[in-house]
Amino acid sequence: MSTILEVSHLSKRFGGLVAVNDVSFSLRPGEVVGILGPNGAGKTTLYNLLTGFIPADQGSVTFLGQSIVGMAPHRIVRLGMSRTFQLCRPFVGMTVIENVKVGGLAQPAPPQGREAHARELIEQVGLGGKEDMPVEQMSYGDQRRLEIARALATAPKLLLLDEPFAGLGSGEIAELSALIRRIHQETGLTVLLIEHKLREFMKLVERVIALDFGELIADDTPDRIVTHPRVIDAYIGTDAPDVEVA
Amino acid sequence: MFTHRIDLAGAAVFVAVMALLPMLLDNSYLTGVLTVAIIYAIWAVSWDFMSGLTGRENFGHALFIGAGAYTAGFMNTVWGISGWWAIPSAMVVASLFALVVGFPTLRLKGPYFALAMLSASAIMERLMLIFWEYTGGEEGINGIEPLIFSQLGFYYFALAVLVVCTAVLVLLARSNWGLILRAIRGDEATCQAAGLNVTWYKIASLVISAAIAGAGGAMYAQYQLQVSPQVFTVVLSITVITMVYVGGMSSIWGPVGGAILLVMLTELLRDFGEWRLLIYSVTLILILFYLPQGLVAPTWNRLKARLGGSA
Repeated sequence: MSTILEVSHLSKRFGGLVAVNDVSFSLRPGEVVGILGPNGAGKTTLYNLLTGFIPADQGSVTFLGQSIVGMAPHRIVRLGMSRTFQLCRPFVGMTVIENVKVGGLAQPAPPQGREAHARELIEQVGLGGKEDMPVEQMSYGDQRRLEIARALATAPKLLLLDEPFAGLGSGEIAELSALIRRIHQETGLTVLLIEHKLREFMKLVERVIALDFGELIADDTPDRIVTHPRVIDAYIGTDAPDVEVA
Repeated sequence: MFTHRIDLAGAAVFVAVMALLPMLLDNSYLTGVLTVAIIYAIWAVSWDFMSGLTGRENFGHALFIGAGAYTAGFMNTVWGISGWWAIPSAMVVASLFALVVGFPTLRLKGPYFALAMLSASAIMERLMLIFWEYTGGEEGINGIEPLIFSQLGFYYFALAVLVVCTAVLVLLARSNWGLILRAIRGDEATCQAAGLNVTWYKIASLVISAAIAGAGGAMYAQYQLQVSPQVFTVVLSITVITMVYVGGMSSIWGPVGGAILLVMLTELLRDFGEWRLLIYSVTLILILFYLPQGLVAPTWNRLKARLGGSA
């Protein structure tokens, strides 16, 4: 079976703390997979390892058949792996369209031109009409959408979203979730996402990878993962009587 | 489109005034002051291109200025090479300095770059004194041949260099390249996440900034006919930064006005004798306190908005 991303025996230590411990998993093209785990389970560290922001101690990462361990972050992005950040990190002092344009500058100019392409992406994430707004005037929800537009501007094949729903109200979460689903349906790109907001998360993903203390403890479908004893133990607590997932 | 045209008109008026001033004043001393102001302006715009756009403040621009000035001095007095070769050579030497300092320090976060630049220029100043047998020590290098014998001729040459450098840097700053530099000021990690090689852009911009500062340094040597370790001092770097702040950081063209205003202010205050520095400093503090965005560029933008509104 063909995979877009193959992670095997990936490890990262920070001093005495093992942040990611011997993690192996793979993603198939077009999948939407979620990473679940309590705070400090190593989810963001895993993203940083995959995207080259921090170097791995051990293990291999193969993206589209190419080993990307030790590769500079900007080169990994150019291969087609794009990420968003847990806290929105737009380019302050710049407008929405400028932010999205920067996302596309490492790519060859699209046939319709960079400006037009950026406008299409802004439209796609539902920020049409706000092109010339300075980013610091945007609501947090809109900044999330901007992050996604900027990531899409890099023409990704794999999109890594780091807690896209963090800091949003339930209405905004539902909208953003619908947006992610729509982008996935329209473009067919593979999506990996970290999230704590279980209700939307479980509806969005086809498969869940659960981490605890840097270790992969389960890799299963959303409805089965919650019955997994180690997941219940780690994420929900030992004595949780019932968990609402839908 | 309107704002674009009015910017061009403003630039044209500025160049015309600068071109006519020496003829109207007909005073060789004042022409000299204006020449120095233009050279300061070249240094200020070159500083603003790298540091103003990326926010990585360079506290040792004098390193590039001095490298250019001494290159011109050595070439002319030691090897007897024509002054016209000095300017391109100074640009190359200053660029090499930029690579040597920029490559290890621009990859780091935090204040390392500013500190490294500051130290590098201070080290060069000391080296000029330690190797006095070659560099002339405090006295520096004297007897540099003028590039252009007529004072007015050199003035117009300097003005032309300033116009070309400013135009090129403004165009670069408004291009995708400038957008990337501004994005680097915004967030380096996000730039990396956009697939951009942040280190490369920072070093390339520093090299461009250094090359232009080096050219200005060579011209300074050719104007003063002499080079001394003063061209490597931190005071010179800070003066250039102050000019950028007064002009309006990251506008590129604003610092031209900042440089000319501050050089003029220094001249106007000559009559005040020992009070000069105090008045100068208080004026600067007032400008930076009440106009943190600078004086020249924001004033022009306000003026333009008013003109645009009435048109």
